[in-house]
Amino acid sequence: MSRTKTKKHSSSVWMILPLYFFTLVFVAGPLIYMVALSFAQPGSGSAVEWNLTLENYRKILDPVYLQTFRESFQLALTSTVIICILGYPFGYFMAKMSESWKKKAMLLLMLPFWINSLIRLYGWIIILQNRGILNHVLKALGIIDKPLKLLYSYPAIVVGMVYVLLPFMILSVYSSAEKLDWSLVEAARDLGAGKAKAFWTVSFKLTLPGLLSGVILTFIPSMGLFFIADILGGNKIVLVGSLIQEQMTRGSNWPFAAALAVVLMILTSLMIGLYRKITNVKELEGIG
Amino acid sequence: MKKSTVIALCAALSVTAAAVPVSADSDKELVLFTWENMFPQEVLDGFEEETGIKIVYSNFDTDETMYEKLSMAKGGDYDVVIADDYIIENVVQAGLAEKLDQSKLTGFENINPLYQGQFYDPNNEYTVPYGAGIPLIVYDPEMVDIEIKGYADLWDPSLEDSIALVANYRVINGITNLMLGKSMNEEDVESIKETGEKLLELAPNVRLIQDDNTQNALLNGEASVGFLYTSQVTAALAEYPELEVVYPEEGLGFGIMGMFIPSQAPNKEVAYQFMDYILQPEVAAQCTDFIGYYSTNKAADELVNPDLVVPDSVKKGEIVQNVSAEAEEQYNKNWTEFKAACD
Amino acid sequence: MKKNSKLSSLYMGIIFFLMYMPVAVVIIFSFNESKLPVRFTGFSLKWYQELLGDSAMIEALGNSLILGVASCLVSAVIGTLGAVGLSRIHWKTKSALEYVSILPLMIPEIILGMVLMAFFYLLNIPFGMLTLLLGHTVFCVPYILMEVKARLAGMDPSLEEAARDLGAGSFRAFWDITLPLIMPAVVSGSLLAFAMSMDDVVISIFVNGPRISTLPVKVYTQLKTGVTPEINALCTLMLVFTLGVLAVYSLAVWLLKRKNRLFSIKEK
Repeated sequence: MSRTKTKKHSSSVWMILPLYFFTLVFVAGPLIYMVALSFAQPGSGSAVEWNLTLENYRKILDPVYLQTFRESFQLALTSTVIICILGYPFGYFMAKMSESWKKKAMLLLMLPFWINSLIRLYGWIIILQNRGILNHVLKALGIIDKPLKLLYSYPAIVVGMVYVLLPFMILSVYSSAEKLDWSLVEAARDLGAGKAKAFWTVSFKLTLPGLLSGVILTFIPSMGLFFIADILGGNKIVLVGSLIQEQMTRGSNWPFAAALAVVLMILTSLMIGLYRKITNVKELEGIG
Repeated sequence: MKKSTVIALCAALSVTAAAVPVSADSDKELVLFTWENMFPQEVLDGFEEETGIKIVYSNFDTDETMYEKLSMAKGGDYDVVIADDYIIENVVQAGLAEKLDQSKLTGFENINPLYQGQFYDPNNEYTVPYGAGIPLIVYDPEMVDIEIKGYADLWDPSLEDSIALVANYRVINGITNLMLGKSMNEEDVESIKETGEKLLELAPNVRLIQDDNTQNALLNGEASVGFLYTSQVTAALAEYPELEVVYPEEGLGFGIMGMFIPSQAPNKEVAYQFMDYILQPEVAAQCTDFIGYYSTNKAADELVNPDLVVPDSVKKGEIVQNVSAEAEEQYNKNWTEFKAACD
Repeated sequence: MKKNSKLSSLYMGIIFFLMYMPVAVVIIFSFNESKLPVRFTGFSLKWYQELLGDSAMIEALGNSLILGVASCLVSAVIGTLGAVGLSRIHWKTKSALEYVSILPLMIPEIILGMVLMAFFYLLNIPFGMLTLLLGHTVFCVPYILMEVKARLAGMDPSLEEAARDLGAGSFRAFWDITLPLIMPAVVSGSLLAFAMSMDDVVISIFVNGPRISTLPVKVYTQLKTGVTPEINALCTLMLVFTLGVLAVYSLAVWLLKRKNRLFSIKEK
């Protein structure tokens, strides 16, 4: 037995090598450069002076930038929660479909991605605008008199975020739920558990890894997808992503942008780490 | 997915990749670097037909990205670049632009002298202007009760939640400066801070801030007043001619898009040919009408949409220039605080 | 396995409807007479005409498709092997590696794009399709890594162990046992990666070469003059084309099945 175990260890190394190599060279490398940049000083134009300083990090403590972080987190959290609520059931139901329906559903889910997300968001503008489709319908149904000012508001941004990121959650939950051993659920039912209890204690627990990866795949981008805030929010909410964008372009202050990015990275990692601890997902992962 | 399908896909992919033609003869190619849609297709096709040179149209989204890519290429890779005035100043200072041999540009006299001798190219050695813009106030008289004559009117309380602004921090800070009787290019940091305070007062009136297609907000009734770039003003008027255009009494800011040849351009001869082609009045007029900016080619003035020739009454304007790093930083801070105050 | 109740089917239907509303709008406005998406002023096919004459746009589309498929294949290999490998080995650096591999998701694109560009420049890699591929792979790998990892979690390891005990090499065991079991995750991760690649603007601009243009970049950089409905026409055509290919494929499968059935009936 022990001989096969060590045999397994050594010959599985080849699997991990491409990832190791690729990550080390093309991810770690540029990242180290980014961290180094955050300690530098901006020179003329977009040049960088390598006088190491903590000035950039000190600047972040200014209230207007702290507010930016706070609002970004709030938005990301709100969007992610809504996406979880809407997306989890969808992914779960999708996993229960018959084989042919599963394929159709997968296809229908991915088809909109053929269209650039920017263009689809422009579509939402046409739907939500004052003279748009939604207002027309509501007026026709007599629900409202004057058109609702839906666009360029916080709710509009959330709609956009949820719209763009929902498929990520659905697919994550689906791929986890798809392999669910339904006989376990049946066993729980046989032992007398009600429908709800069986779900929470068996199905939900076992699909938690899917939910987690879904959360990661939605929470993190929602911190960075500033173009949604631009297009649907009218640029009135300043997100960390747009701040970084501006500092990299018109602001020509790369070190400051890098510092913002490093802080963003750290905070996001902490949030994800916290989430994993709370849901105790670690127990379910990494088992051979 | 079956394994055989995966293998088939890989095979198909390698065949397709191999079939993608590698760039041929660079003698017969012009690499153009600017925003997308800066030329009507007829103009590009016309050049290709006339000269047999293929145009490779490469894009950037912001002037800063252009500068980074050009720096990284050390002035090479691209034959003709069109970008905004302020970044060209950086390009020239970094030695990345070619000094133009004007003998190769027969149409050089066509350039309107109004747009020459500016801060980024004082001796007209490096650039040929491609178009100019003066951001203006445009409003819907049906939806606005007051008469708007200048920037100050934007702060009027009756315009709550009604204004669409372009997302340009220098321009918006700039018009606030003008309103306070200062220069567009104010450099004193304390003074800029005051500008920032005044700007915050505008926040309640802002419906949206957007840099592209801002005119749509005006046209679909989301906003009743807009502060728009020239191409957007043109597009708005084309759709809805009843809109009122205001040349603000406190003064104007303007900007120029310049065409230049990078210092290490792969094919400078072809670049000159293209520049010369664009300087021809008929071609220039087609371009101007297409992009909707002001004509910078005097010989083309009689051929273009009359709205795109700057009226005599507004010949005085301040060009938005680069300022010191400290001033930039404060302008940036003003802008971030302003946006955060809008909601 | 219980089938879905009427309620859950209705739920899915509603979500699908909401997902496709903007898509429908995009398609409808591709036929708009006016250049601006403000009002539908009349029916026109002129944007389709313009599209067909726009060889640069079509070339950009081709590049994006090739790039998308290539990056998702490369990242599928790296990500899948990586995820499986991670679950097998117990090195000390394991969690660090995992964390760093996923970091590209946590960094704003503009920074990632800029540092990648600087990095490629440092390594003297010529800018073009290669750097585009590398850049896209960097942000695609995390998607597949996460999907496969989630699928592997709690999966029964004894199947592969059994294969190994019976003498299969680690590659055989992976290819014949593990891979088919994790395939849905690989596929969904790849689809996500492909979608992200087709959507990418910022990183592409930074790491592309002067001669390569990709579709989202072409669309996004129409900032100075505004996006025209030509892109709506393009999106509609892409959808129609995809549906067309799938329809042909399903038809072929159905015809094949029929032929087999008839054949077996004949034999009787």
